[in-house]
Parts: sequence; C-alpha cells; structure tokens
Amino acid sequence: MAKPVKRKDFLWMGWGALAAIVGGSGAASTRFLVPNILYEPSQKFNAGPAKDFPFGVSTLWFKQQRVWIIRTSEGIYALWARCTHLGCTPNWFIAENRFKCPCHGSNYNPDGDVLAGPAPKPLWRAQVEVVASGDLIIDKAILENRPGVREKAPFFAEYA
Amino acid sequence: MPLPELSIEKLEKEVYGSQIWKSMFRNWPWQDSTRHRARHIVDNVWLHLHPAKIQPRALRWTFTWGLGGISFLLFLILTISGVLLMFYYRPTVELAYQDMKDLEFAVSFGIILRNMHRWCAHGMVTIVMLHMIRVFLTGSYKKPREFNWAIGVILLKLTLFLSFTGYLLPWDQLAIWAVTVGTNMAAATPIIGNEGPFASLLGMTISNDVRFVLLGGTTVGANTLLRFYVMHCVAVPLVAAALMIVHFWRIRKDTFSAAPITKDEEKVDVWPNLVVREYIAAAGVTAFVFFVSVYVNAPLEEIANPNVTPNPSKAPWYFVGLQELLVYFDPWIAGVLLPGLIIGGLCAIPYLDTNKKGVGYYSWSERPFANAQFMFGITFWFILILIGNSFRGPNYFWYWPWESWLVHKPVAAPTWSFPLPLGVFSLLAYGGLGMTLPRLITADIAWKKATGAFLGFFALVGLWMHFGGDIAAWRVITVGFLLYLTFLFGFLYPQKYLQDLDMPRYIAVQSLVLMQMGVLVKMGLRLGLDVKYILELPQFNLNI
Amino acid sequence: MHRKLFYFFNFACLALFVAAGIVDNDREWKGYQKEYKRMEIARIEKALSTETDEAKKASLDIALKAARSMPIRLRQAMSKDLIRYDRCTSCHLGIDPAVNALQVNDYTEHPFKASVVPEHMSHPPVKFACTSCHGGQGLATTAEDAHGEIKHWEEPLLAQPYLQGTCVRCHDNFEDLEGAQEAKRGKDLVAKLGCVGCHSFKGKGGEVSVDLGDIADKPVSRIDWSQTTADLDRHQWNVKNWIELHLTRDPMSLVPGDPFGHSCEHLEKCEGVAPSGMPPFFEELSLEEAQAITAYMLGMTDRALPMQYKVPAVKKPVRYADNIEHGKAMYTKFGCAGCHGEGGADGRRNFNALGDGQDKTNLHSIEEMAKGREPTLTKVVGTYSRDELRKKLVDGVSPTSIVKFNPEGPTPPLFMPAWKTKIKGKEMEVLLDYLLSIAEDSGEEW
Repeated sequence: MAKPVKRKDFLWMGWGALAAIVGGSGAASTRFLVPNILYEPSQKFNAGPAKDFPFGVSTLWFKQQRVWIIRTSEGIYALWARCTHLGCTPNWFIAENRFKCPCHGSNYNPDGDVLAGPAPKPLWRAQVEVVASGDLIIDKAILENRPGVREKAPFFAEYA
Repeated sequence: MPLPELSIEKLEKEVYGSQIWKSMFRNWPWQDSTRHRARHIVDNVWLHLHPAKIQPRALRWTFTWGLGGISFLLFLILTISGVLLMFYYRPTVELAYQDMKDLEFAVSFGIILRNMHRWCAHGMVTIVMLHMIRVFLTGSYKKPREFNWAIGVILLKLTLFLSFTGYLLPWDQLAIWAVTVGTNMAAATPIIGNEGPFASLLGMTISNDVRFVLLGGTTVGANTLLRFYVMHCVAVPLVAAALMIVHFWRIRKDTFSAAPITKDEEKVDVWPNLVVREYIAAAGVTAFVFFVSVYVNAPLEEIANPNVTPNPSKAPWYFVGLQELLVYFDPWIAGVLLPGLIIGGLCAIPYLDTNKKGVGYYSWSERPFANAQFMFGITFWFILILIGNSFRGPNYFWYWPWESWLVHKPVAAPTWSFPLPLGVFSLLAYGGLGMTLPRLITADIAWKKATGAFLGFFALVGLWMHFGGDIAAWRVITVGFLLYLTFLFGFLYPQKYLQDLDMPRYIAVQSLVLMQMGVLVKMGLRLGLDVKYILELPQFNLNI
Repeated sequence: MHRKLFYFFNFACLALFVAAGIVDNDREWKGYQKEYKRMEIARIEKALSTETDEAKKASLDIALKAARSMPIRLRQAMSKDLIRYDRCTSCHLGIDPAVNALQVNDYTEHPFKASVVPEHMSHPPVKFACTSCHGGQGLATTAEDAHGEIKHWEEPLLAQPYLQGTCVRCHDNFEDLEGAQEAKRGKDLVAKLGCVGCHSFKGKGGEVSVDLGDIADKPVSRIDWSQTTADLDRHQWNVKNWIELHLTRDPMSLVPGDPFGHSCEHLEKCEGVAPSGMPPFFEELSLEEAQAITAYMLGMTDRALPMQYKVPAVKKPVRYADNIEHGKAMYTKFGCAGCHGEGGADGRRNFNALGDGQDKTNLHSIEEMAKGREPTLTKVVGTYSRDELRKKLVDGVSPTSIVKFNPEGPTPPLFMPAWKTKIKGKEMEVLLDYLLSIAEDSGEEW
C-alpha cells in the first residue's frame, strides 16, 4: 500500500511547485530577451586577398567593419577598432604611428598596447585566417588581447 | 414665455441636491466644520492618502520643502506629456530622429511638450535627490520608517533609469553616445559582463553577456532603441508607480511627519491647511516648468551615427560623476561596484544608524557622525558631477570652464602601478588599520591638535619632497588635502563616534566609510602621483 | 498669504499657457504664406480691374477665388526614394506646383519668386524633393534652421557654384551637362594640380593622405577647427568651408601639427608631428577656382543612391599622338604634379625635407623647415637611368628614408608612394618616356 502523503508535505510540494514556476518564468523571460538572430552585419567577413594588404596599418575595412588590418613581415593580424576603456572608436594617425581614442584620450601603438590614457587593456585582436584561396577571413566575435596568446594562431596569421 | 429668474443659490441647491451630484460627491452641502473637513479628505479617493489631521510643525515649508510632493507632481507631468509625445514618436532608427524634428517644426505644441518632458525629467532627478537629502537630514528614515527609506532609494534608482532610458529616444549623437558610455559599464559587471573580472569563467563574449541582453545586440542599435522605448514608456513607469503607491501608503500609515508628538500640541485639519500648501507648491512648480518649456529648447544634436564618436562623449549628467570615477578606476569598480555600494549603503543606513535622536528636525549637534558622513558623500558626488560636466573637454582632458576646447592639451604624464607585494601590503594596511585603529584607540583625541599634527607632518613631508625629490608643490598639496579628509572622516570621526557601536554594525559602517574615503585616496594618488593601480592582477581582469 | 499665492500661481499658469499658445501659433512660415496670398489676391484683382474680355474675366474670377481660399498650412515636397521630406515650399510658395502650377510669377522678392529653370523641370519635386540637390534641412520650418548653416546640421543650403557639386553625385556625365561647368572646371583643376598623387578617390590614387572619395560625408566632429577661429564662426563649421579653406589658405596653418613634440613630452618615445603636407595651392588659385574645386569635391560622397537616379557617362576613347603625349597624360592621371609641379618643373613644399636656401644654423625655425622641397623633376631626372627611374616609381621612397633638414624634427609629411600596383605595363613605359624627355640636361647619352 502506498504511503499516504501528509498534508504538511503536500503543502511544501505545492509551494515548491509555485517557486519553480516563478523562478522558471523569470529565467524564461530573461531567455526571451536574448535575441537569437540579429539584424546586425555578420561578425565574420572576408577581407579580400591577403596579398593586397600593404605593410603597416590598413584602414581599408575600418569604416565598414571597424577593424584595422596590420601586416608585418611575418604575418597579418586584425585589431578591432574599439577602445577597451568604454567602447568608443579610436582613429589611426599615421604620422604619430598610433591609435588615439577621442573619448577619454587613450593611445595605442600598432600592437594594440596602451601608450597613454585610462584604457585598462590593449586593443582586442580578432580571429584571422588566410584560407586556401588566399583570402583573409576575419571573425570579430572571437577576440583576444593577452600578450603571448594574441601573437599566435588564430589571432595571428603567418603570411609572408 | 418669460425666462425663469436666475438665482445662484437656487441653482447651487438644485445641482448639489441632484441625484447625479450626490452619487459622485458625498460631502455636500459644504459646511466649514471639522467634521466636513475630515470628510473632505476621507471621502475622496485622491485625497484620502492624507490623514484627516496633522501636526502644525509638519506643515512648515522649511521642514519638507515640499520635495516629495514636487517629485510626484513632476512624475505626473512627465506621464501626461510622455503619453502625448508617444502619439508622434516611432521608435525605429529610421524614423525616431525625423519625428523629433517633426515635433519641433511641424506639430502644434510639439516642441513645448518635448521641452516640458525633458526639463521635468532633469528636474525630477534633481528633486528626488534633494528629497533624499532632506529626509536624511531630518532623520525621517528612522524606526519605523526604515523600509520606506529603502523603497525611496529604489525609487531614486528607477527615476535615474527612467531618465536614462528616455535619453536614447531622440536618437541623436548625444543620445547614443551617452547610452553607449552608460551601458558599457554593464559589460564590466563581474562574471556576467564580458569585460568584467572572472568573465572567462562562464565564457562571456560580447554576444551573450548582460550588456547584450540590455542592448538586444552587440552595439546600440534598432533593438536597443525599441527596448529602451518599451522600458521607458511601459515597464519602468509601471514598477515605479507600484512602488510609489507603497511609498505613499507607508507615509500615510507611519504618520506624515516624523516629528515626535508632544502632549500639548494640537493637530490641525489637513483640509485646507495641508492641501492648500500642496496646491500652491504644485501650481508654482507647474508655472516654472511652463516658463522654462516655452522659452528654452531641449537639446537635439546630429542624427545618431555609430561610426562617429563625439569628443568628449559624456554620460547623462547624473551619471557623469560615475564617468569621472572611470578616469581613476577600472570600469567594473566605477561602473558596477561603487554604484552597487552606494545603493546598498543607502538602503542600509536606517539599519546601521542606532542614534535615536534627531528625528523630525534638522540637527547637526545631535547627529554629527551621520550628517557629516552623508553630507560628505553627497558633496563628493556633486563635485564629481561638476568636474565631469564642466571641467572635462576633448579627450576627457582637464579644461577649465573659461578655456577653449579648441586649444590642444599635451598628453598626460605616464602612469605607474604599485608592484604586487607593495599593492597587497598597501590594501591590507589600509583596510586593517582603518578597521581596527578607530576601535583600538579609545583615548579622547583633541581634534584641533590632531589636525595640527597631521598638517604639520605633511608640510614637513611636502617640503622634504619638494626640495629633496623635486616634486611639484601642487601635487603634494593635492595628496595632502585628500589624505587629510581621509584622516578626518575615516579616522577621527569614527574614532570619536563609533566606539560604542556593536560589532556587526561597526564593521558595516566602517567598511562603507573606508570605501568612501578609499575612492578619495585613489583619486589623490592618481592626480598627485600618477598612480594607475594599487593592485594589478591582469590574469583576472582585477585592478584596483 | 496662501490665498495670494493661490491667485498668483493660478494666473501665472494661465498666462504662461496663453503665452505657449501664442509662441506656438507664431510661426515664421505663416507670415510668408499670408504675404504671398495677399500679393496673389492683389495681382489678380488688378488684372481683373483692367480686363474687359468676359471669358478671361471668368477665369480670373476662378483664380481669385482659388487665391482667396488658399489655406495657410505646412506644405512639403516628398521623395520616398531619396527619403527626403522638404518643407521648403511652406515659405517658397512660388515654387510649389500646387500653388503656382506654371511656376511663373512676377515677384522679384525673396522668398516669393518662382524660379523657372530647366533643371527644375527635369528634376520634379515629387521625384527629387528639394534638399537632395540644394542641401539644407528640409524638415525644418524656420529660415535659419532650414537653410541649415547652424550647429548640429551638416548639410547647409548650397549656393552657386557649390550647388553644382550635387549634380556630380548622380550624373557621372556631369562634364557634358550645361549648368555643371563649374564642377567640370573643378575636376579639371583637380587633375591639373595633381591632387590624386597624394589623395585617393575611392581607392584610386596615392596613399599619402586621406581618401577624398567620400569627403562630402566627412562628419564635422572629425575635423579639428582650432585654427579656423579667425575665418569661421561655430555655425559655419561644415565640410564645404573646410575644403575651401585648404585652397584659400596655407594648409600648414590649418593643420599645424606639432613639429617639436610638445603634446607628447611625457612619453618615452616622442616624435614631433609635421604640419599638413598639402602644398600651398592658394598661391596659384583664384577664389573662383578654389570654389570650383570645392563644388566638385562636394559631389564626392559614399551615400547609397537608388539605381534609377544614376546617370552613366559615355566613355570616350582617347588617342595620343605619341608616347610622350601619352606619358604626359599619365603624369596627370597619377597626380605627379601634386608634388613635383606641372611638367615636373616645380618641386613643392615638403616640411623638414631639404630645400634650397635653408639656413642650416637655424634648425628649429618653422620657416626654414618649410623651405624643404620635393624634387624638381626637370633637374633630377637626368641623373637617373631609365631602370633606376622605373625602380623609384615602382618601390617609392619611404617617409623615414627622406633626409631631414632638422634631424630631430618630424618626419616630412610627403613621400613617394610605391606605385607598383597602380602604374604598370604600357602606362609605366610611356610615363618614363615622358619623364626622361623633360630632363633639362637631356644631352646625356643612354
């Protein structure tokens, strides 16, 4: 014979069910607010043939994709043009060889390291890859800025 | 046919005696008696929030300044003007800015309503802050009103959030960059913000963290505009209205004035004594708002352009104090930890303050510690706002108000951080000594002597540094002044007034005091000695 | 006391409410509409009083009735394609087809007069609205705001000749258009001066300075106006004036840089920044020429246009008599004149490079540094062999390898870009032919 459920236990189970519903609704509402699809340009884009990029800082995709593509003698990396302080867009000043943020005055060198200003961290580098066709593919959704890690794949594409 | 003779009295009698009138208003014919006055309040759904009688001293203008009522009036004006504005406003990135232009140029009374909405919003933020200061200074948060104070703090926060969400809606450069600066602070939330400490634990990126939920995207865009619109027009006002009802109901239940009732004091009728004062305050404020709205236009800059950052980009003025703190601290401290502590600390005040004196009147001598600390914090807050608002120019460099922003300033001196052991030691020393010293030293310290000793000591250090270390005098003065304030508010005051507090309360109060003064110390170290971080742990994104 | 305050504030509210009504009702455009209406009625009444023909009288009567019943209301020209909603006709009733179908009237006074130009006929307001060509703030209804030379509006109303810049935006064939001669003149001057040697236009051209292909879209806030306070008031800060100042003033004074590194003295590695490298073209341009160039530049935009608004140009084949002439055309095409002067005869200013007549004892003088010059080709080309010259063109000269006048001063702003990806094959060879032909000392044998 099944054990009869005591009134006290039953009530506790009832309250538990209510709590689960309330908590679950909260979680579901939060989930509802996270969009699954965005009407934003894709974070990943094809920057064109890697061989076309000159040595130094290229602002070719700055306007459209908010990245600078930097080519050194060893390879290519891409800096996301977003100040690590508060997300403003710095500008590239070729004569001074640095990026300068207009919001709070942070300065960065082409490595992305902070030279001046309140920025707490170096600029983010985006994932880069030179695919078989020779095109440079950049994914801004995957970012890295730690020295030592950012100089290796996938944030640095070796390219002569 | 001869017209019936017109008699006011007869007409009055017929109207007031009619079934229609009587079904709506119970208290007629009006007789000026205590009973009728009381029924005037009690029988009216709008007025019965008041008690029927009130202490005369609660009526004095100089007691409440009418600030709570004015806050509510501004909320009502904002609701009405806001609902009207909604008829002409479409919350999409293509149309919002155009609709703002339409309101200005093509809608009858459009610009006046928009001005009214804008200026009342700024006014409400200001008045709510002043209301909080007034309630603090009259000790009106003390038992049994602790919880209502906490609700008030939440209402203040909702007021700021309402204003902040509304800031985005004009969709001009001012709007999106103020909101960008503001919401980026959310990205610095520990663990759930992608740029906060320990963010890597949960694998936070820009497309799944708390800021992403707030914006509905990775940048301020169409989703953000719609979200802020819904929050501004529906969600937050509903919550705020619900809490206001609780707030008012509590006031009613706890009696209108916190002033203790003395035996010989005879209460007076609320109708007309209080109601007329409320009406006059409301009419005066309405007239003022009208005047400003007719003659001063709300700002509207260029249409929003996510690719062009204005220099400088500033948050709305009430957040500019936090933005100023961003110069000295990492975003997670300035944007999340400190605001959290401010709100938490404010809510905790009634539970920490055990002083039973000073309820219902202004008194410095009976509540020296509470008043000094609170007013110090408030003054500090407004000074930060003033600096951020008026003393910061392009690149967020320091510009005096009379200096042209067109003049270029040299790059600031490079900053340096404490080495790790020194950083850990400094923090432990500050916290440890700050917590224990005021409790351990029980002797009565003569303030004047202590101040003199401190200043003398610092003057010697300053002279030595100036001549020996070649450090500019203004740097020494800056650091010295801020350290003195810390000494005064962080040691002398607690030493004198917190001796008898029980241990849990002492720890809580002294922690808050040390936090508040710590902000000042860090600012002094940055301004005077170019210190970037006291503790630097880049592995965890944790810098102090 | 309370009674008095009650009266005072209630009446104050009422007074302000009335004031609000008056302020709101008092709109600038209403005055112009009423004036136009009055003028129309007076004109028709005058015509009626002298008219004897009954049929004409009847039609004038109808016109009079129409004029008398003309509503005073906001009017706007809409172009859904171009997303323009322009309320210009709220004041300029003479060019509102609903009010003045024939677009003809006798009013000489602004803003009432009609403007019957062929361009208006070929660009009907229903398709183009007003501001797409004229600039200005179409949504605004006060003269100051609508004409748009104000803070926070970046496209002010364009007068002639600047107006012609907007022709360039749609008409790729603008050089053949009547009414766009100034823009054509501007384009020709741009070619003659060799702007393209340093500035690219949508990626085509040199890399020394910014791309001008979208210069008309440049946000005002990205411009440093600190050196223009003597020329411009705050409300005149716009791209048109910025471009024109580069051609009517010494660009070095407009963008002075920081040659001695004052702004970075705190930093470990601190380099001075040279002033604008743009040559002082104002010395050779008349005001009209500067305006023509500005007009042409205002056509340089990146904004998307609906395809059906684009007018393509017909490419005309060009024939050259010989290699030298072809090479000369290449010299123009690639903007060599920008630095080396027309015909290679005039090396232009290059700050802190070496130049004639520099006082070597005065290294820190801005004037002496500004005497630095780019090579004058007619003098130096003769010292190179053809292969050496080709190599120079292909690889360029990097800015850091230019010999500085003051070794501690800033890197000279102008340098020879590497043209390898841009000048190739036949174009390169004819250019070399031309360059070698202009050498003054052409007696050498190779």
